Amino acid sequence: MSKRIFALSSSIAFAVALPLAAQTPAALKASPGNTAGNSGKAWSLSKTPWGDPDLQGTWTSDDTWGVPMERPVSYGDRLYLTEDELKDREKRVEQSKQRIENPSDDSHSPAKAQLDAAAKGAAAPAPAAGAFGRGVDAAPVPGQFGEYARRASRQTSQIVDPPNGRIPELTPEGKKKQAAAAALRRKTPETWTDWSIYDRCITRGVAGSIIPVIYGNGLEIVQSPGYVAIRYEMVHDTRIIPTDGRAHLPPSIRSYMGDPVGHWEGNTLVVETTNFNDKMGVGPNGGGFQSEDMKLTERFTRVADNTINYELTVDDPKTYTAKWKIAFPITHEPGYQLFEYACHEGNMAMRNMITGTLAEQAAAAQKKN
Amino acid sequence: MRTKFCIAILAAALLLTAAPVWAHHAFAAEFDVNKPLILKGTVTKMEWINPHAWIHIDVKDADGKVTSWMIEAGAPNGLLRRGFTKASLLPGTDIVVEGWQAKDGSNRANGSNITLPDGKKLFVGSSGTGAPFEKDK
Repeated sequence: MSKRIFALSSSIAFAVALPLAAQTPAALKASPGNTAGNSGKAWSLSKTPWGDPDLQGTWTSDDTWGVPMERPVSYGDRLYLTEDELKDREKRVEQSKQRIENPSDDSHSPAKAQLDAAAKGAAAPAPAAGAFGRGVDAAPVPGQFGEYARRASRQTSQIVDPPNGRIPELTPEGKKKQAAAAALRRKTPETWTDWSIYDRCITRGVAGSIIPVIYGNGLEIVQSPGYVAIRYEMVHDTRIIPTDGRAHLPPSIRSYMGDPVGHWEGNTLVVETTNFNDKMGVGPNGGGFQSEDMKLTERFTRVADNTINYELTVDDPKTYTAKWKIAFPITHEPGYQLFEYACHEGNMAMRNMITGTLAEQAAAAQKKN
Repeated sequence: MRTKFCIAILAAALLLTAAPVWAHHAFAAEFDVNKPLILKGTVTKMEWINPHAWIHIDVKDADGKVTSWMIEAGAPNGLLRRGFTKASLLPGTDIVVEGWQAKDGSNRANGSNITLPDGKKLFVGSSGTGAPFEKDK
């Protein structure tokens, strides 16, 4: 019976949300995907003993898993899926869940498939259609990677502004960085600096630490009077955010995670971060581009027991020709806990990647001679 | 108990026609997509370390000669969420590993699946390896 009530309240939420959805990204707040889990009861925001809105707990961005950061062009300015498209995504979410819960049924066995095919003199078989890839319903790489959305998102992209859901055109300086990154990708990496800041276990940056990726999308928020701390799971950065609106550090002090200063606007925690370096970018795992002058503004608004609406505005006129904004809910996932991620200590991959390159170069040199 | 030895490494030409584009990614740089292999061995040590766990196994050939291999698995937090526990791969466990060998020719491999003695198959791989079948299209 309670399920029925939930289904009914969800349907009502859908009906209410749809007209709103067509208007503005602010309608995210009314998106049913953002309030799932409420069973129709009146909800009120709890406060900390010292009176701040309570955002504490363990959250994940997994519910946005499979929603591309940039919107596929075919969706135009449409931020939300149609009902049919949503049903299709819900099916995929269910498939991912089944793959997680029944791993022994999974037939994803690519190395064996390669060997079997080669034994018959055949080419390696192609992956199942639609199983992988990018785009609005790209998600399900094999579910056993461990993460999947618990609630299907209605969004067609993580970027909600500009209206086409795509990163604005880069400035000439931004394009220079893009070209340098492309050149580095084409280059055979030979030494440690040829790998990304993320590969090197240094950090994933502010945006890269919350944009959902293949695993480790958890974060924990802890509050004390005058401070909010956010601990991210993968690569384990922690941000200590004063909420007294103090001035930023002098511009001579710069870092990968920048200098965050917060304040409360009603029930919303607003965090403005500056003092970045330009060694990484705004994207999954810290990919993309940014300048030292970038300002990030984040807004955390708790809209349900299990949901905080998260917004991130990128203001970096040296890199992008316009401001742009990402928005998605972060949610509670039953049983989820943050596990330690001491990345650098066991990063054998760096050594192995370098010896792999050396072996390739030696083989190429031998071939030449 | 006799541990069967089973290893198969195939020539590059048989498998893929195009070399993968260099990506700054652990799989593409560390492992060779053209060297898939299947190893049957016994766990000697499990290292629960980030960013990738490593399974150490001893593989015995038909003549009884033992070779030690290291198998790269996913991150510990990913494995824990897939249901692994610290007792899942204790020393002495016989497993079959499917994966790809290291580019430098050493006895290291990226694990994709492992099969336990009771036939249960577990995914141990890391995400987005860039391995065949896992590439974004």
